[in-house]
Amino acid sequence: MNDAYLVPKPDRDRRPLRFVAFGIATILVFGLLTTRLAYLQISNGQAFAARAESQRTVEVAIPAPRGLIYDRKGRLLVSNVASWSVKIKPSDLPFSRRDDVAQRLGGLLGMDASDILSIIDSTPGSRFDAVRIAQDVPENTARLVSESTDELPGVLVAVETRREYPDGPLMAHILGYTGPVDANAYVRLRDSGYLADDLIGKAGVEATFEEALRGTYGKELVERDATGRDIQVLRTVQDAIPGASLVLTIDKQIQKEATQALKWGMKAAGLKRGVFIVMNPQTGEVLALVSLPSYDNNLFAKGITNAQFQKLVNNKNKPLTNHAVQAHYPPGSTFKLVAGTGGLADGKITPKTKLRTAGYLTLGSTRFYDWNRKGFGPCDINCGFGHSSDTFFFQVAGMLGADRLAYWARQYGFGSPTGIDLPGEVAGIIPSSQWKIDALGQPMFQGETYQAGIGQGYDVVTPIQLINAYAALANGGRLYRPQLVREIIGPDGTVIRPFKPDLIHKMKVTQATLRTMRLAGRATVTLRHTYNLVDMPVKVAGKSGTAEFGVRDSKGRLPYHSWFVGFVPRNPYKADFTKTDSQLVFLAFAYDSRTKGNAGTEIAKAFLQLHFHIKKDYLNHDLLKKGNFYQSN
Amino acid sequence: MRVMRAEPSRFTDVTARSVGAVWRAYDLQLTTYVALLGAIGLVMAYTNSVEAGESVLTSGTTFTRALMWSGLSMVVFIVATVFDYRWLKTLSWPIWFVNIGLLLVTLAIGDGVGGSSRWVSIGPLTFQFSELAKILMITVLAAYLGNREGKLDSLGSILGACVLMGPPWILVMMQPDLGTSLVLVAILAGMLFMSGASLRWLVAMGLGALAAIPVAWTYILRDYQKDRILSFLNPAADTQGSGWQVYQAQITVGSGGFLGTGLTNGAQARGGFLPVQESDMVFAVLAQELGFLGALVVFLLFAALIWRILSAAWHSKDPFGTLFGAGLASMLVFQVFVNIGMVIGIMPVTGIPLPFISNGGASLVTLAVGLGIIQSVNIRQHRAEW
Repeated sequence: MNDAYLVPKPDRDRRPLRFVAFGIATILVFGLLTTRLAYLQISNGQAFAARAESQRTVEVAIPAPRGLIYDRKGRLLVSNVASWSVKIKPSDLPFSRRDDVAQRLGGLLGMDASDILSIIDSTPGSRFDAVRIAQDVPENTARLVSESTDELPGVLVAVETRREYPDGPLMAHILGYTGPVDANAYVRLRDSGYLADDLIGKAGVEATFEEALRGTYGKELVERDATGRDIQVLRTVQDAIPGASLVLTIDKQIQKEATQALKWGMKAAGLKRGVFIVMNPQTGEVLALVSLPSYDNNLFAKGITNAQFQKLVNNKNKPLTNHAVQAHYPPGSTFKLVAGTGGLADGKITPKTKLRTAGYLTLGSTRFYDWNRKGFGPCDINCGFGHSSDTFFFQVAGMLGADRLAYWARQYGFGSPTGIDLPGEVAGIIPSSQWKIDALGQPMFQGETYQAGIGQGYDVVTPIQLINAYAALANGGRLYRPQLVREIIGPDGTVIRPFKPDLIHKMKVTQATLRTMRLAGRATVTLRHTYNLVDMPVKVAGKSGTAEFGVRDSKGRLPYHSWFVGFVPRNPYKADFTKTDSQLVFLAFAYDSRTKGNAGTEIAKAFLQLHFHIKKDYLNHDLLKKGNFYQSN
Repeated sequence: MRVMRAEPSRFTDVTARSVGAVWRAYDLQLTTYVALLGAIGLVMAYTNSVEAGESVLTSGTTFTRALMWSGLSMVVFIVATVFDYRWLKTLSWPIWFVNIGLLLVTLAIGDGVGGSSRWVSIGPLTFQFSELAKILMITVLAAYLGNREGKLDSLGSILGACVLMGPPWILVMMQPDLGTSLVLVAILAGMLFMSGASLRWLVAMGLGALAAIPVAWTYILRDYQKDRILSFLNPAADTQGSGWQVYQAQITVGSGGFLGTGLTNGAQARGGFLPVQESDMVFAVLAQELGFLGALVVFLLFAALIWRILSAAWHSKDPFGTLFGAGLASMLVFQVFVNIGMVIGIMPVTGIPLPFISNGGASLVTLAVGLGIIQSVNIRQHRAEW
């Protein structure tokens, strides 16, 4: 028994056929596997490799650094700073956890949960595009958020660059600001490479020069894992090209002087709105452009909250409106330039023609009063313009008629936008007989033409139009487009677009006529219509204006704006206004100024004192006291 | 198996003979192929470890666990070689009961994904006893069928084998582990075929099993198992859901091309596009990183190994050795075919590991036991001639 197993069993049934069958089956199995593998890897290897790459890689935009903005002297007006943003990728945020995540994130960021949800819901783009919830988040908060990924699914923290405007309100109306692209704009701009959470220039030159400033976004190929998380950047497909930089025509120093003068005048006279513009009449360059009240454009760059925005929008003095270009006002007596130029050019009057001026002019049964109820007696253009005689210009306007008056207004650039490099410019209104029929279905009445001659009635102009008209007067009849951007400089420092004055048209008027009007403007000063302006060492020619608007008060008086627009010769200390060499034209506008004297003139004087470093104080603080200066104008 | 016959105790057999004689019978080729496949398994564990972002040599990574299991498997392989396989015939009933016991323990305390119970934790290690069940059932069936030599073409032998396989098969299905239960069926079918069982009855049984598929579909298969089969039948229908694995596996394999992307360079795997890349889907990573050429080398090693097992089975002087070899070869062919077939899209997704290469201790130890027994069979055949 023990050794039984040692004896081989001779006739073991080994079934060789079944071994062979098994072997063949095995060979078939491996043959099949090899064939299929060859099909996948050799015949279709490239196709599968391409599919593998395309499913795990995605082209991502590389934002280009936005171009910088300098003033004409090379002072930096805006810079790009890195800041933390918190974003949400809706596709990674389970619907059931939306409220919970919004609540938690709101707590960390100090936002309302409902605001967060409404940002997500109102943002264009696909569910896979991250939505910016908060910009300029403090680093500690950003770290807290990025460490709570489990409690905050779909929430990401990104470093982005945002604009910083070191001068804030000083330059806000010129520079504007950038902000998130809105849904409508995104639909329009998507094909030009804008991203759903992109930033775009929304006001000022940030908006008008968006294309130059933005640069060209690059592209990189990013490898992502199956859950969509970035693993690594594989390669740059296309480098980002930084945006071009702008050199403004603005001189920050002059902007400061203009702001300071306007602020002083507004405070002294208790005004709520005002404009001050300084230009070079030889080129159309705007050296300063101030509209008060202003706002801090950094609020927008950092991501303005709803409450902050509502506060700005609801402010009745409209700080977000650039009153120099986005609003129009009656020009008042400053508009007598148009009637005077037209009367001379059309031969209705000569420099020597004297017209009878009185307390009023009668037309039918209506009396048209002069501001001076005594009149000035027989008056030539110097007397009429210098004393700002209304009855003088009623007669000139009457001689010209509404349409010739409108023609000369257009010659000075009124009635259409100047084309300044700012968004939202309005055209103003210059009434002609056709305009009256179109707008009101009636012809112009003679009385309305009288009113138009002194810048009242239907006429409204923007401050930038008015200063540009006086710039044309000062430079000998060349109407330039006011410009804010001197040069555009490429990322490599080369000048892409050099400065070139942009002539709108040459006025169809003789130099003699314009010289007569410049001297008449000087007479305004020398006749002491503008009080002690003549005493200043700087020699000014110009025109003040008082323009009624709105509704009469209980005593039947209208509120009024006051203007002063003037210029100085190339040598500001030598009163030679026969030449056309002025380098400086300026305008002051005081909205709703119920002062004894003309607030515009005082503000202009304040600017001149600052700009020309005049030590002696020529300002008439008394004239800025409350009162109706109509009796003494 | 009707008679539990104690074979004589000959623990001194091996030592009694000359070392040279033992070595002449020892199949060095088989051991070489096994070592090469094991090495490829370690290389894949390494590459998967790197791609999972692990620092490879610290404890607990895919690679260090694979190293540890390889070491243990070598010991098991040597012990199984030295051990006289003929004892297994004597011990077949206890082995059967131990197998049932282990599977019951697994059902009772096992862990697994989604409410299943597949793994039993032993200290820091987890072990899948259903893997061991394969080799234990090969042993039990080899002992049973070997004893019935001469009556193997009767229906009784077939039914008897089915009855032995029944309880463990049901316990595995209860875990549930469709993959292993299919392997058990393949082992049963392969061993019956090789034993010389009546082809008519086998075909009849096979048809019966086919007829049972609708029943199994309705009452036995879980939803996820049905999804896998459906997505295999039409992988393009749902590339984000069930078809995802199938689709991604094919992309992964295809993107390897002829020479592959190189080890640890499988971007597809690194991105997490390929689920269970270190276990059931390991061949996809291998095919991507080593290319068609590398995969072909693996096929050749498997084919050579199966040839050596069949050779041992053929030369075995007793039916146990023949049948054990047949069972082991059936298991290997089936697992290789189903696993790689799944990866390259010609078989449905089932949780069947690729022998040697899929990461998994139980699978490796089970193979070590089986191949050790084959070597034990090899070195004990020629005794009578000396």
